[in-house]
Amino acid sequence: MPFETTLIIALLFISAALIGVIVARPGITVTRGGKIMAFLVLLVLPILCGAMGISSELERSKTTKFCLSCHIMEPYGQSLRVDDPSYLAAAHFQNHRVPADSACYTCHTNYAMFGSVKAKMAGLRHIYIYYLTTPPAPENIKLHEPYNNRECLHCHLGARSFEEGAVHNADPELLPAVKANKVSCISSGCHEVVHNVATLNKMKMWKGQP
Amino acid sequence: MKLSENPLERRLQVSGMLLILGLLTEMVCLFWARPLSFLAFISVGGALLLLGILVYLLSVLAIRHPQQ
Repeated sequence: MPFETTLIIALLFISAALIGVIVARPGITVTRGGKIMAFLVLLVLPILCGAMGISSELERSKTTKFCLSCHIMEPYGQSLRVDDPSYLAAAHFQNHRVPADSACYTCHTNYAMFGSVKAKMAGLRHIYIYYLTTPPAPENIKLHEPYNNRECLHCHLGARSFEEGAVHNADPELLPAVKANKVSCISSGCHEVVHNVATLNKMKMWKGQP
Repeated sequence: MKLSENPLERRLQVSGMLLILGLLTEMVCLFWARPLSFLAFISVGGALLLLGILVYLLSVLAIRHPQQ
């Protein structure tokens, strides 16, 4: 467990213990000192604990481990370890083009305003589908909306390999079209092998540590 | 545990109990990094904390001074 989480748990425990004193002996709030203590313990500490806890939970919800904790996502986790550089997700994960401990979030969040909030709302929808309906098979999972090039360009825009790449510049109209999201990076026949979980059992897996 | 007969103290006790329940829920949720614990943290823990704080604030607002 991360040190930060341990610290928050300790703070929650201490706060609960102090509140317990007020619950057991409410008479102490008659004095001035007791009133100040009640204010701190019944208002300030719970707000502090709640804010720190939410911040910690939001950070943890970005981790690869968190996303892969649902059984249905396991093949997607395995697809990050395919030993084939043409697999887009695997190549990004294994070569640290995305942080390995937040790989899913880095590519699947929305890099527009309120993108993180939208990602959390989509996550809540995933929980609803997973627990309260019949979820599709992993190979049948589809994105809610077509993948936007903006998410790729968040890192690749301005990079020499992207801007000066021979294939990207073979047709002078290609790069402007990609940047305007008129030609998709992943569904236009260029980088179309992303997770491809249906064919994972035929693939060789990388055994190393990211 | 017996609730106090003084209305203000009773409200503070209710507020405290709600807050303890909320904090304990959040504490348990922090042990797991899973979607359900995230949901429980936000919805159950958060709601209990909010309710406890509201009861405390209402109990403070409801105090009547002798001249009133």
